[in-house]
Amino acid sequence: MSEASFSGLEPLNIVGNATARVDAVERVTGEAKYSRDIKLPGMLYGQVLRSPHPHARVRSIDIAEASRLPGVRAIITSENAQIVWGAGSISGGRQYNDPTKEITLHRRYIFNNPVRFVGDSVAAVAAVDRHTAEAALALIKVDYEELPFVLEPEAALADGAPAIWPEGNLCPDFRNNFEPMVSDIGDVEAGFAEADQVFEERYETGFIHNAQMEPRSALAHWQADKLTLYTPSQGISNCRHDTARDLGLEDHQVRIVCNYMGGGFGNKNQNQDADLVAATLARVAAAPVMLEYSRRDDWLGVHGRWPTVQYYKIGAMNDGTVTAMQMRGYSGMGPYRKNSGGISGMDVYGCPNRLRTIFPVYTNRTTSGNFRAPSEPHGFWGIESMMDEVAYKLGVDPVEFALKNMRRPTDDRPFTNYSLDEVITTGAEQFDWASRRRATPGSDAGPLKRGSGFSFMMFRAGVGTSSAIVRVDSRQNYTLFVGVTDIGPGAKTTMGMIAAEELGVPLSQLEVVSGDTDRCPYSVGESGSRTTIQTGYAVVQAAKELKQQIAAQGMPSGSEVLIASATPVPNTDGKTRQCFGAHFVEVEVDTRIGTTRILKYTTVHESGRIINPTTARDQIRGATIQGIGQALHEDLLYDPASGQPLTTGYYRARHLTHLDIPDIEVTFIEVDDGYGPFGAKTAGEAGIILAPAAMANAIANAIGKRMTSLPISRDKILEALA
Amino acid sequence: MGDTKKPDKDSGNPPPRPLNPKQQSRRDFLEGAGTTAVVATAVPVLGISAANAQQANAVSGPTTSIRLTVNGVSHSVDVEDRWTLVELLRDQLDLTGTKIGCDRGECGACTVLMNGTPVYSCSQLAVWVDGAEITTVEGLAQNGQLSTVQQAFVDNNGPQCGFCTPGQLMTATALLNNTRSPSSDEVRSALVGNLCRCSNYNAIVEAVVSAGEKQGGAA
Repeated sequence: MSEASFSGLEPLNIVGNATARVDAVERVTGEAKYSRDIKLPGMLYGQVLRSPHPHARVRSIDIAEASRLPGVRAIITSENAQIVWGAGSISGGRQYNDPTKEITLHRRYIFNNPVRFVGDSVAAVAAVDRHTAEAALALIKVDYEELPFVLEPEAALADGAPAIWPEGNLCPDFRNNFEPMVSDIGDVEAGFAEADQVFEERYETGFIHNAQMEPRSALAHWQADKLTLYTPSQGISNCRHDTARDLGLEDHQVRIVCNYMGGGFGNKNQNQDADLVAATLARVAAAPVMLEYSRRDDWLGVHGRWPTVQYYKIGAMNDGTVTAMQMRGYSGMGPYRKNSGGISGMDVYGCPNRLRTIFPVYTNRTTSGNFRAPSEPHGFWGIESMMDEVAYKLGVDPVEFALKNMRRPTDDRPFTNYSLDEVITTGAEQFDWASRRRATPGSDAGPLKRGSGFSFMMFRAGVGTSSAIVRVDSRQNYTLFVGVTDIGPGAKTTMGMIAAEELGVPLSQLEVVSGDTDRCPYSVGESGSRTTIQTGYAVVQAAKELKQQIAAQGMPSGSEVLIASATPVPNTDGKTRQCFGAHFVEVEVDTRIGTTRILKYTTVHESGRIINPTTARDQIRGATIQGIGQALHEDLLYDPASGQPLTTGYYRARHLTHLDIPDIEVTFIEVDDGYGPFGAKTAGEAGIILAPAAMANAIANAIGKRMTSLPISRDKILEALA
Repeated sequence: MGDTKKPDKDSGNPPPRPLNPKQQSRRDFLEGAGTTAVVATAVPVLGISAANAQQANAVSGPTTSIRLTVNGVSHSVDVEDRWTLVELLRDQLDLTGTKIGCDRGECGACTVLMNGTPVYSCSQLAVWVDGAEITTVEGLAQNGQLSTVQQAFVDNNGPQCGFCTPGQLMTATALLNNTRSPSSDEVRSALVGNLCRCSNYNAIVEAVVSAGEKQGGAA
């Protein structure tokens, strides 16, 4: 077994010790019940009909023939089921802001007219089995009036572009103002005036699906006026709240159950349109409905990381000091603003003059959703490609350039701790950066060219509120209730370890109850790398409270139990709390056929104290590999003439397989900064942020050409070398 | 991926095992699982008339009677000709450990063993498996004891989300039956048809290699 290496802290009794998942046996025997594995008596099967056009008005929908098909039990369409999917489009992309959801200008409904992308939902059917539902879809006749469409964000802002919404194609902000997102620090023009040299370049990034193995689905079951949804959700609490609001119910009338789910990586947060469609079909048919999205449904209904165009302008002194940074960016959001459209990365530099302007733009591609570190990997790729290029043009080692220019704590902006220097220098040493890097990019003779690249980051590890309940009975069996869903990182196990550590009992003496809003308190949701920090901290506080009760009253006897709950609202005393990381990779590019092979991949992360070394290691390795896929292959391509998506699946988007995977070396530098549960910080998103930039810089170092378009596929490499 | 052709009954496949007391008819399955029981409630609104719903209860395409053995248990089933093997396993036999990731032969989540060979069960029609012996993830543990490779997945964090895990385990089982102690390169080659979007590939390969080392010996 390839172990990660750790330095800085000793393991505690349970925390910090490699621990098998508490539900590992269920996951390897097929016992684990995912949403689609659940069956209810009388259950019907649902399917959704989607638009074949990128932009069209629906003149009419004829369901007569479909209704006559034996076995069809309900058909709902944009004509008779008009339900706002509140989480599907929010002004400013502010998913966690209820008032913004209330005032949002441009709504996404469960079925839309006009339809605004290939895959926009038009109707849904429930039938006695899935084949009958599929057959019924084919019998629904939709009369479309096709409208002009636009796919690229810059083109969508040009004069005369087809207007996807009446006010045009710039997405409104959270106040419904049509303004770009601007961050203006210092005086960027003064910084350029001061510079010895100014560098400019345009970068563009692909459209990448989360591609979690389990497609979206929902099983809806009404009992009187209470709705139970068995649905793969990354946040059962916010899914319940969103679903209740969208259906005009109170929160307590909705129960969300999700004990196992097959990944999400950001796109199963909040509620899904599948939840609302299944609930509506079930109400109409008066029977439970299992709505099953196909792989193509999942790919097109909501996609993942938004495609971007990034224009950088960097001013620097000849000694490598950066004096000004400017970026103008365009993010393609699809026709609905589900998420922010952010392009991050410039903030890791200390340069005092920085201007960033981002235009989130409506297009007739499918909706962009959150994908693991939603604003970061494409943004870090852009800025760190740019800075790598600047460093080589100035004749400075990129690592030295980073150490010289990266953001550091200041008197007015202190950090809880800062370990970026140690992270970078440790990585450079482990990787042997000095000898693996080509001082002159592209200098290898022959068709196989090697080169090495580096990237670095800091990323939010802030604290926040969440809840936990702990109970002990007279046999000293402990039960932890937490509203987490274990989407893959191992939250059930992590929460159990934190509780057992604080309680001073073995993990085997503790049961973790999760994934059910009727049984568990609020949890923040498995997004933003927040579960361990926020819910984990609530677990610590609840366990402390229970220990105090035991100390005061003694252990319960007979049928008595003791119960403690906690909903802490922690803060970091005004200090910035970040995790840190650096990646180093050596590649070999075959310049005859354009392929890129990874020879060595070294990662160093400071994510505070590591709760479970095994699952933390695989968060870094898995996220890094996803980032390599983003660097080399993945993109949802569209045919510009027809607006049709072309790469709607694993095979077409060329996801990485076993044969593509290098050994990812993982080192954690552990620190306890006194915040979070035992000092734990962010880990889940950290790996993916750095991989595209490190890969791109390594390829540039190998071939001596800067690749400015993601993914860096074979054809682009060959074109650059031609 | 291995051979995904229709099994040939004359090709030396083992004969179906004697029927055991667990043999069930299709009617027994349906009653037991309750999968297609129909609620007689009329549909009042939005599209379908109550009369239509009433006469819409019995729906079935053309069917064929087949016999197959799944995890050592013999079954006689009337299968609709449009059902895939994974539908037969999940919907009719209630073996939901086998997952559907893409339903079109891309991801490998639905991998099962057919006469010992890994196949994508989404890409096999149920009628093709007449006479075959199928093993699913539910058939790996014996008498409550995890198989060597299952235990290695537990010990090496083989599953993250766990959705691809049954397919990875089935392909790995076939590999380990033929290659007692595979190298990591042999594992990667064998498992290339099983995607893992958590990208837990390193841990999966480490688990399979360690299972091979544990079982040891020559093939």
